[in-house]
Amino acid sequence: MPGVERLQARFAAAHTQVLGVSVDSKFCHAGWGDALGGISFPLLADFQPKGATAKAYGLFLDGPGITDRATVIIDKDGVVRWVEAVGPGGEREIETLLSHCEAVDKEHGAGLSAWPKAKGWSGPATLYVKSNCGFSSWTLQARSNLHLESAITVKNVSEDAAAKRELEGKAGKGQAPCLVTGDDVLHESADIIAKMTAAMTDI
Amino acid sequence: MIKVGDQAPGFELDDHLGRKISLAQFKGKRHVMLLFYPLDFTPT
Repeated sequence: MPGVERLQARFAAAHTQVLGVSVDSKFCHAGWGDALGGISFPLLADFQPKGATAKAYGLFLDGPGITDRATVIIDKDGVVRWVEAVGPGGEREIETLLSHCEAVDKEHGAGLSAWPKAKGWSGPATLYVKSNCGFSSWTLQARSNLHLESAITVKNVSEDAAAKRELEGKAGKGQAPCLVTGDDVLHESADIIAKMTAAMTDI
Repeated sequence: MIKVGDQAPGFELDDHLGRKISLAQFKGKRHVMLLFYPLDFTPT
């Protein structure tokens, strides 16, 4: 996954949207992406009913209840153009997959336009969080997955009394998580993550 | 296992950033590469 993250621009140049898929939940995916150094392309939760998408592609392993390690390249018209399963313990060769994507684009990508660029993050921002808070963790993981560590300062109001007073001054209450960007104050973790995602991705 | 030339089964799933992502939303706009993998937080 980190290898694919590093090559995002080249997959985009081949008009290819990369999507990771496993049976884990979206929250588990967020933590895993964070642990991998930040994954900005979608990690999809094939979670409920478990493995339904993997089963539709014939890639669910009933015994262990997990998904095979497999790659499917689908052209813009929804037709499968490349499939490879390497087994759960196998490895993918990302450069090779990129060359397959480029070949698919050459043959089936006529008329596709260049992608819109993500607008990027603007303005200094502070993310106030609490310790031992799932909502705070969710926003922190999004910050990591979208590579916003240098753009968004983090302050922990459970550990830092000055930060708590600062938050109360800016937001009128000490509730965290809270993202403050200039005059914009967001308290809902879903709203905070949606703002980050809208700035940093093109979908 | 699905084969080259098959129509890809559609899906709509939550992603790790809280979005609903479907195969259909990319139709006519982008190709899609699906990276299926066994499980998060496991040795790879």
